[in-house]
Amino acid sequence: MTESIQAFMEWIEGYPEKHRALSLQTPLVGYFCTYTPVELIHASGFIPVRILGESGPIQKAYTLAPSFICPYMRRALEKALEGRYDYLSGMVQGYTCDVACGLTNIWEENIRLGFYHTLPLPYNRNPEARAFFRSIFSELIQKLEAHGGRFSLEALSQSLKIYERVRGLLADLYERRYQGRLMLSAKDLFSIVLAGFVAPPETYLQLLEALVKEVQGQEVIKAARGFPILISGSLLDDPKTLEALEDLGMDVVADDLCTGLRSFYPPAGEGPGEKNDPLDRLTDRYLHRFPCPARQRARDRFPLLMDLVRHSGAGGVIFLLQKFCTPHLADYPILSEAFNKEGLPHILLEIEDSGLTEAQRTRLEAFLEIHGRG
Amino acid sequence: MRPPSQKRLQAAKALNQLVLRFYQECLEARAKGKPVGWMPPMNGAIEIFYAMDLQPVFPENWSPLCAAFGYAPQNFRIAEALGYSRDLCGYLRNIIGYVHGLMKEGGTPLALPEPDLLLSFGGGCVPAMKIFHILEDRFPEARIFSADLPQVAAEQVQDHHVRYAVSEMYRLIDFLTKTTGKKLDYDRLKEVVGLSNQASILWEEIMAYRRYIPSPFSAAEIGIMFVMVTRQGTREAVDFLTQVRDEVAARAENKIGVIEEEQVRLFWDNIPPWYNLGLLKSFEKMNGVVVAETYSSAWSIRLEGDDPIEALARKSLLSYSLVSCVSIKKRKEMVLKACRDYVIDGVVFHRNKSCAPITLGQMDIKRALEEELGIPSVIIDGDHMDERNFSLAQFQTRTEAFMEMLKHKKGLW
Repeated sequence: MTESIQAFMEWIEGYPEKHRALSLQTPLVGYFCTYTPVELIHASGFIPVRILGESGPIQKAYTLAPSFICPYMRRALEKALEGRYDYLSGMVQGYTCDVACGLTNIWEENIRLGFYHTLPLPYNRNPEARAFFRSIFSELIQKLEAHGGRFSLEALSQSLKIYERVRGLLADLYERRYQGRLMLSAKDLFSIVLAGFVAPPETYLQLLEALVKEVQGQEVIKAARGFPILISGSLLDDPKTLEALEDLGMDVVADDLCTGLRSFYPPAGEGPGEKNDPLDRLTDRYLHRFPCPARQRARDRFPLLMDLVRHSGAGGVIFLLQKFCTPHLADYPILSEAFNKEGLPHILLEIEDSGLTEAQRTRLEAFLEIHGRG
Repeated sequence: MRPPSQKRLQAAKALNQLVLRFYQECLEARAKGKPVGWMPPMNGAIEIFYAMDLQPVFPENWSPLCAAFGYAPQNFRIAEALGYSRDLCGYLRNIIGYVHGLMKEGGTPLALPEPDLLLSFGGGCVPAMKIFHILEDRFPEARIFSADLPQVAAEQVQDHHVRYAVSEMYRLIDFLTKTTGKKLDYDRLKEVVGLSNQASILWEEIMAYRRYIPSPFSAAEIGIMFVMVTRQGTREAVDFLTQVRDEVAARAENKIGVIEEEQVRLFWDNIPPWYNLGLLKSFEKMNGVVVAETYSSAWSIRLEGDDPIEALARKSLLSYSLVSCVSIKKRKEMVLKACRDYVIDGVVFHRNKSCAPITLGQMDIKRALEEELGIPSVIIDGDHMDERNFSLAQFQTRTEAFMEMLKHKKGLW
């Protein structure tokens, strides 16, 4: 098992070099948000790779972006200004939060890449919204083709197949975790998901298939490892944070993270679209995917979170947010009150840098003391 | 002989009456059973409301009034006690605090009527959308229209964006007809859209007079924007703006300026600090006048063509993107053009903690001003609603040094 996980870790730790080498053969396109239709980018002959912020000091980015936007976006800008992403052919971004939109445009002003493109994603699910979705997909395809891409519906069917398979395997791993049948630590499972953002999907699928095979051979029920919790929050790009939670005595049994469940669930689109029309399937998935607070109401998200709580046996919730994250902060009071009504303890932590601060550890210890040792 | 000066416009008094009348009308509408709909500003729903004889209410516009009346600190306290972080936009915290506090308590001279309808927007900025999601919980009786509007850069608007925005307009009209029983008279809509267009033309004319030296009025009169936010599509807005235009024209022609000796002309970027608009006038004691700002051109969007619905859709698509980070390129172009047109000496960038969408991109605009026009600028840290995020000492130190530098550059120091 350790060996299989090592393969994922190699991607997380060494992706810049790997990307640089890959870009000599296949052009790479960056994106921030998982509402970006990576399937279209892939089907047009590019490798979609997610931009990670990682840790490190912020110096150059201060001259271009204010300090009151999320640390992830500032660190990503810092890396870009250092030349980290000069191997990218372009950037594609689905409009979800204001900061991601603004930062994409600031990148465009300062980081010279082949092209930039932002998709104005509809919020509704009616027939007009579906038609609009198809228009913006066409617009993106045209842009990709203008920059060397070649798109076909057959290629899209193929890409959908790969991504649906990848997402299906991740969903299976999560299902095993809900059932207490997964022997991976939260840090390891998170690292596995994270590697999928930076590895080409074909390579990633192979790694994932090998891992799942191993996992299937370990039909054991794991012993309880601590206070079972659901983590709900924004983007997290540092596996160490989860390790720290486990060290404190938490057992992460479910997540609603931008770099976790929300990025792959559900694996395929469910909706009124024609199942054999790849563009319909794609539209269905983006309209019916597990929602981000930047796209949905707190009251619509709450039942989904409660399903996760019940299904995973979580006894508490940690809201783990990037500092200044408006969509999550705006939903927090409503969710907080709703969890209170359910008698579910919860705590809010805001990430300012990588990992947890000492003060946050102390608060978590107190949280566990009160709620977790029963 | 120095030209005469006169700080305030006469129209400012008329504006006060107009503001009072609008909010009284909102309360009366509710009392008379006229359907009241709350909505975000800067979209074509306002014209449709006026054409259907419905009462629009703008929670976002209510916030500057709360700041001016001194309600904001109390509203913030209530919102923050409910769990709304201080890092959230001040408009959001203010309105949420208001609807859970003062609005329930009553007793304020002005107040908002409860909504019958909520136009809950996707599109625009995320806080504007989230405000309405939260309001939906506060007013469970209200009928909700989940509106959608593509967030697309002004320079990238294409037919499919317009088509979708148009289909949303028709969906809105259907919703309003079904929920209120009122029908849309197409001729009346044309009339309203015509009036709205006249307001935009007048707005541009008024702004153009600020190119005169000395400028006939300063950013301290930004309050006139009230009619563009709340009254577009009404005769009242056109009459008021005509009065402002005539007064401004007369002042410009007679070389009546804001101060006796206008030495430095400034541009203000981002929403002003509503709790202290006097700051915009603080440059005047150093012979500086703020003669243009971000909003100067944002309300000049024309409503042209034979189809009023399409005209409204196009306006809606441009309004938000032109003042936000959706169109950094276009915004930069607009600010640079304004700086040339208004003969600007220096730019004040308000780095506004309550508005990331307008703040993002400021540094790129700042650099372009220096590199392309040689225009210096200064950054002021602040917040358009929450005074706790503003330091008067920092403002004074930075603006005074900036003014000295600008005067030195012009050989006046």
